[in-house]
Amino acid sequence: MIMHPSKSLSPAEADAFGRELDALRQRVVADLGKRDVEHIRHVIRLVRYSEAGGRALLHLGVGPLTFALGVTALGASKILENMEVGHNVMHGQYDWTGDPALDSKRYEWDIVCDGDHWRHSHNFEHHTFTNILGRDRDIGYAFLRVSPLQRWRPLHVIQPIAAAVLALLFQWGVGLHDLHLDETATGSQPLAMLRRRAMPFLRKAGWQLGKDYVLFPVFAGWNAPRVALGNLLANGMRNLWAFAIIFCGHFPDGVQLYRQAETAGERRGDWYLRQLNGSANITGNRVFHLLSGHLSHQIEHHLFPDLPAARYPELAPHVREICTRYGQAYNTGSFAAQLGSVANQLIRNALPTAA
Amino acid sequence: MLAMVPPTIRQAHPVQRLHAAGSRLAATAWRRWFLDRHTEFWLRELGANWLVAEPRARVLEVIDETPDARTLVLDPGRRWPGHRAGQYVPIEIELDGVRVRRCYSISSGSSQPGARRIAITVRRVAGGRVSVALHRLRRGAFVGIGRPAGDFVLDSPVPPKLLLVGGGSGITPIMAIIRDLTARPTGGVDVIVIQGSRSRADAIFGHELASLATRFGWLTLHARRDDGPAGRLDAAGLRALVPDLANRETFVCGPPGLMDVVARAAGDAGALQRVHHERFTAPVPRVAGDGDPEPVTVDLVRTGTQVVAGGPGPLLTQLERAGLSPPYGCRMGICNSCRCRKQRGTVEDCATGVVSSEPDQEIRLCVSIARSDLELVL
Repeated sequence: MIMHPSKSLSPAEADAFGRELDALRQRVVADLGKRDVEHIRHVIRLVRYSEAGGRALLHLGVGPLTFALGVTALGASKILENMEVGHNVMHGQYDWTGDPALDSKRYEWDIVCDGDHWRHSHNFEHHTFTNILGRDRDIGYAFLRVSPLQRWRPLHVIQPIAAAVLALLFQWGVGLHDLHLDETATGSQPLAMLRRRAMPFLRKAGWQLGKDYVLFPVFAGWNAPRVALGNLLANGMRNLWAFAIIFCGHFPDGVQLYRQAETAGERRGDWYLRQLNGSANITGNRVFHLLSGHLSHQIEHHLFPDLPAARYPELAPHVREICTRYGQAYNTGSFAAQLGSVANQLIRNALPTAA
Repeated sequence: MLAMVPPTIRQAHPVQRLHAAGSRLAATAWRRWFLDRHTEFWLRELGANWLVAEPRARVLEVIDETPDARTLVLDPGRRWPGHRAGQYVPIEIELDGVRVRRCYSISSGSSQPGARRIAITVRRVAGGRVSVALHRLRRGAFVGIGRPAGDFVLDSPVPPKLLLVGGGSGITPIMAIIRDLTARPTGGVDVIVIQGSRSRADAIFGHELASLATRFGWLTLHARRDDGPAGRLDAAGLRALVPDLANRETFVCGPPGLMDVVARAAGDAGALQRVHHERFTAPVPRVAGDGDPEPVTVDLVRTGTQVVAGGPGPLLTQLERAGLSPPYGCRMGICNSCRCRKQRGTVEDCATGVVSSEPDQEIRLCVSIARSDLELVL
């Protein structure tokens, strides 16, 4: 999509920009209450019931129709649990309630990624160093080249295929992310450190595999193969969806990357600007937004990661208005457009180009 | 629950190590990946409240004691550990999405583990969110309940001479002690009770105390009302009412003024060490002034140590300056890595200026400024 580049702001303008966003944030914080808690509790209820229903259809049903319905229900449940519940609760968006079931530090989600690893690599590293080359390991997940600013390596040629494989096995990519495998490959991370980092992942992955492919199939008796396959497909459904939504968040054309030197002495307003220009939104209807965990509002999420995500749609017009006044681009487009742009970037940058 | 594996397991037989590893995995799985998500949810959905990990109490009865004091008779659930008369219990209620906790003295007498009936008596405070919300509860409602605590209790054996002073809602733990004493009369005890209240209508348990005093000769009641003929009690008045104050074990609970009166009278009689007191009012937060915060004492609950934190900057920087290394991440209030529980004390949010003295509150150290002495779970 063609977008006018964001205006470069003076320090005073950046500060004013930051203050306006801070004020916007404060208004929402002061308004948080019952309706926010009710929302997340409704979603959790939806997740649990559709999981129970999906599993019941797989365990007790016969024939392809119940199988398809079961996989769909279970897949939808996993998608909502991953996107709207897990990601958002772990960000601390509902810590203010004091409800232990919504405690960001205690929540464990239904994928192979360990919660503590995620909290460290995502909440802290990704959201603090967003899009800074050499600091944000989410840029291409340390093996894909999504921008000409990244150095080209011969293996990048096969990256469209690598990306497709990652899409199918996305939860494993997420799970392995905090192990810093790329650093072990280049020799900068000693094996002992890798072993230490890997332990929580291996425990969580072991539990997930056991649950999905041993425990539940065993309970299904004669339906064991059906249940195992159903779990596999539901996991795959969730993987593909999460991959698509998440890749649209930072990799479409127009999203800005930063060099470390550029961000030295960054103030709060500059941080907001980097979050804004480093993210992209996806347009859609309410169901789409919910299923994406409101990561369709990646911009609002990066500006306010600890505000309940269900608030992002009502914040978006205000954010957009502030951006217009400060001459900042607001990167948004349809799912097809953004996904197409991401695919385009992956293919184009598979080949060496001048930075 | 499954026991933790001892550190010497490395030298153990491979089968034992496998078993130990399996136990650890099962414990983690149950605790974090299964219990959290599924079991709690379905137990609640199916209404099996007694099995739910978070203890809750059900309101059995609501009794109006005075125009603004109400007794809630509660079923504390099967895991109630029992309590001693005079102790308090934390009560948790959700207000506009936020769980808020307050401690209330248990006004019923001591209870055994597994008891299914206790009572708290709540005075509705003007502008008080929790007391107002508790007054709105009806039979069948649920509140969160914690473990009873407090040392405002009679020694065993019971001292022969007692002075029990309760002012306003401070009569609640006193009432619990009296109910215990009258339910299980111990021979040879001599009890003087002084109840202070604004008016006759405001005297919580006034009628019950009067009738108990009539029934039991060893129980003497002095009901003092602010609007009565003698007016509010002062130290001299107390010494006159209770000449043998020095020989009595004294328990006082009430407004600061009443506590001072008793302390002064006891001090004059040389009996200050025999006074037990229970405070209801929260510690007054220090003035949230501009500029660098004053040094504060921070109690670290996990390590049982205490540090003095001072100088400019948020709490995180102050604690680091005091030699600690709390976990941190972005240092800008975004990632929650530095989040910890403030059990008591007042903090100010760097960004918003909001000052909060709420107990048991999660705070982010990197954006909080200490405004009073604190108790942190660190």
